[in-house]
Amino acid sequence: MSANYKKSFRLYSAWNYQKETEDLDKASEQGWQLVRGGCFSSEFVKNPDVRYRYQLDYGRIEDMGRYIETFREQGWEYINSTFNGWHYFRKLYDPSLPEEAYEIFTDTQSLLEMNNRWAKLALIVGLIFALSAVIFAIRLITHPTLPLLIQFLTSAIEGIVLLRGCFIMRNPASSRSRRGDSVLLAVFFTVIILGAVVNIVLTEQRPFSQTSQQASSIDHPVVDNRWADFKVTYADNYYLDLKFEADAPFTFAVLNDAGEPVYQVTDTHFEEKNIQLKLPKGHYCYSISCTTGFHVECGLE
Amino acid sequence: MKRSEPMSESYYYILLCLAKGANHGYGIMQMTEKLSGGDVTIGSGTMYGATSNMMKKGWIREIMSDEPGQERRRLYQLTDSGRTALRAEIKRLQRMLENAQGV
Repeated sequence: MSANYKKSFRLYSAWNYQKETEDLDKASEQGWQLVRGGCFSSEFVKNPDVRYRYQLDYGRIEDMGRYIETFREQGWEYINSTFNGWHYFRKLYDPSLPEEAYEIFTDTQSLLEMNNRWAKLALIVGLIFALSAVIFAIRLITHPTLPLLIQFLTSAIEGIVLLRGCFIMRNPASSRSRRGDSVLLAVFFTVIILGAVVNIVLTEQRPFSQTSQQASSIDHPVVDNRWADFKVTYADNYYLDLKFEADAPFTFAVLNDAGEPVYQVTDTHFEEKNIQLKLPKGHYCYSISCTTGFHVECGLE
Repeated sequence: MKRSEPMSESYYYILLCLAKGANHGYGIMQMTEKLSGGDVTIGSGTMYGATSNMMKKGWIREIMSDEPGQERRRLYQLTDSGRTALRAEIKRLQRMLENAQGV
């Protein structure tokens, strides 16, 4: 990497965009000039001979040519736009100009319009997360499992962070430079990514996928016939769907490593979904016994 | 047009400047500063937002300059409905001033 180029990875929350422009101004003073702004990383080149002031705008621009021209007329050089709708501008710093010369929003109305453009999107996404969190919470009451708990927590955290951001953005007076937000954002993205990864891993490691049903029709008697060995890699609640029919009493059991039943039922006709089994880590199998032929279907989630 | 909402200073000055003839963003900004004795400035973000909104309302339109040396320069021009909106605002401001007489 050249000594005249650097890439900086720093997260800024949308509701704290003024902190980003302040930092860009400071970097410029130290000779590092932003050449490309980004959501996750920014690129700088070293040039100690100039000093710029930076501004950010947000929104979908209908007429990019007119937009850039409107800024250029007042000395703003368009740098770039990010994929999610932020636009970076810089203006050569002239100490003889008053501070207002470096403002791009000179009335409350236009500043609020800009802030609301972002807040509207954050509100919709935040509400979707909050709604998912409620749905997960309801399912969690009847179906407590670890993957579901993780889904609930990630949605709840993401929802809260976005709705809070939406609130701050709509009340710009409260948004002057929040220092702790980089940490919060790092946590936010870590939660999203880690939550998704952990969830995929945990779901993958569950003994049977949600759709896999095992079915068997046997026309002769069996005694303690063991089948479908499965492994539980982490202790959690698992849910058994079970259905069987037989002419004589039929016994269905889930046996652990030691051959002890952790669940057992004897009947001629049986159908139940979502039987909650609290299974510690270990190896298990199904065991069936019947004095006549029978038909059995079962699935574990 | 029904009772008009009070306009923001930026909208008002943009329309006022354009009432004197088509102009580009920078010209509007300079004229606004001069008219208001430096009190009102219109930054680029405010200018783009205000002109976009007023074009949507049909108060102003975009034209290309045909003056020599200024060809293909973007200009804004007041429309009839823009002029009506400006007159309504001036009337509102005059009434407010008259109401304040003797205070």
